[in-house]
Amino acid sequence: MAFDYQLGTRTPAPEVDFSRNPEMAPYLAPPRAMYVGAPGKHGYLRMGFELDKSGKTIMRDLDRRAPLIVQQELYFDEEMPELPCVYILSSGGPNVDGDRYQQDISLKENAMAWVSTGAATKLAVMRDNYSGLIQNITLDKGAYLEFMPEPVIPCRHTRFAADSRLIVDETATLFYSEIYMAGRKYYNEGELYEYDILSVTSHGERPDGKKLFREKFIISPPLQNPRQLGIMGEYDVFANVIVMTPPEMAEKIYEATDAFIDKEKKLAGGITHLPNNAGILYKVVGMEPGPVKQKVREFCSTVRKIVKGHPVPEEFPWR
Amino acid sequence: MESVMRLLQMTDSTFPVGTFSFSNGLETAAYEKIVYDKETLREFAKSQARQAAFTDGVAAIAAYNQYKTGDIEKIIEIDEELIRSKMNDEARQMLQRMGKKMAELGLRLFPEDELISKWLEKIRGEETPGTYPVAQGIVFAAAGVGRKELFCSHQYGVVNMVLGAALRTVKVSHYDTQEILLELGEETECLYEEVLKLTPENMHAFFPQLDILASLHEKGAMRMFMN
Repeated sequence: MAFDYQLGTRTPAPEVDFSRNPEMAPYLAPPRAMYVGAPGKHGYLRMGFELDKSGKTIMRDLDRRAPLIVQQELYFDEEMPELPCVYILSSGGPNVDGDRYQQDISLKENAMAWVSTGAATKLAVMRDNYSGLIQNITLDKGAYLEFMPEPVIPCRHTRFAADSRLIVDETATLFYSEIYMAGRKYYNEGELYEYDILSVTSHGERPDGKKLFREKFIISPPLQNPRQLGIMGEYDVFANVIVMTPPEMAEKIYEATDAFIDKEKKLAGGITHLPNNAGILYKVVGMEPGPVKQKVREFCSTVRKIVKGHPVPEEFPWR
Repeated sequence: MESVMRLLQMTDSTFPVGTFSFSNGLETAAYEKIVYDKETLREFAKSQARQAAFTDGVAAIAAYNQYKTGDIEKIIEIDEELIRSKMNDEARQMLQRMGKKMAELGLRLFPEDELISKWLEKIRGEETPGTYPVAQGIVFAAAGVGRKELFCSHQYGVVNMVLGAALRTVKVSHYDTQEILLELGEETECLYEEVLKLTPENMHAFFPQLDILASLHEKGAMRMFMN
């Protein structure tokens, strides 16, 4: 038995509300279909990882509301068999108008985990409201988390707001990646940058509340064409990776990672330091999700080698 | 008339805060042949202007608004929020370097101004990062220049910095850069209206291509400008 429901407490799914964000103001009408908060439209997931008596990380705490599901943790990482791996799944298909989600992940002292999603997150057409996601990721002393979900695919008139609070001890390492596609590239004649808005905020802080950085990006094709040189230009896929790690690790990661523009493969990437010695920020842009995912994975391998002394194994051929 | 004269003085590229030594990634963009003519330069400058407006511009206006309250702690909050929202390392260094110069110069021009003098103390005591837009907001308020004019000066500074560097790195003429300057100037009013709606907690930026160019510059050996 990998997790014990008795230990977890069942909490009401917290409210997920972005109505105070000025950029979401045009998208606050009540959905004409199922109302906000209806069962199955308000997902909640809480996962807590910690060491058991033998020193192995297990998922000790789990609580969830449909449509979010996680299966038990698996130990399939060939380079780090002690690493529990969890896929977050959604039983509801794409995120639709008025959907709300919250995901809380915490790692106790020296625990480690790898978390991804089972498939790309599809964001459906929205006509009245928006789909929102709040995440709280908390890492105690010496903890290590690789959070590497599959890409997010918005479609025509998608409105999506996300806010991720990353609370990381100064001795812990968080690898946090996100990949956003321009849209359903091969659907009909192609559907690129036809969504209404993606508003994505990530903020890093210490357990004592000290704020470290806040990155917010608003991509709203009706207001500003993302094709403009300097924004996405000709590129269709964007990956953003935040690595919160102690400064000596950050320095090694920075040294080991190249900034590049590969004109042949139409792939480019850049790396810089996060404010307040919080760690590293890595960005990749490309044309297709495959090569961008590969770059993110290579970068994760660099981070893991420096922090844990092991590489990331080859990706499964079906992923 | 005095305030217009002061606006011109503080906006001029010879106003010694060091704008001339930065290219904001243009050098790399030119080397990589991403910016190579008037059209691509216009797009690049447009992105720079927009990026600056929704981060630095918001901070400059917030600091300007706080000047009359004299609440230095609130101004420190704005300053720290801006640094936390600046994802590029060299950009943070540039803002701090120019911010200190701006505060020093501000005190020299307005030695009676208490807030500028307190602000410079906070920077020297490392109690605040001391970014350029915040110093600009304070000094412009002290100089009695309007808020809209502050924003115009700020935007002009950003675009002019890029266009000045372009004359040395891209195949464009002085006529080309002046046309771009005029065109981007016409968009400033719209940006100002949008920026006024934002508080420092709402600053935002999405310019991955600019970020990647800045990173290449930061990592690269080839450099004429600081950034």
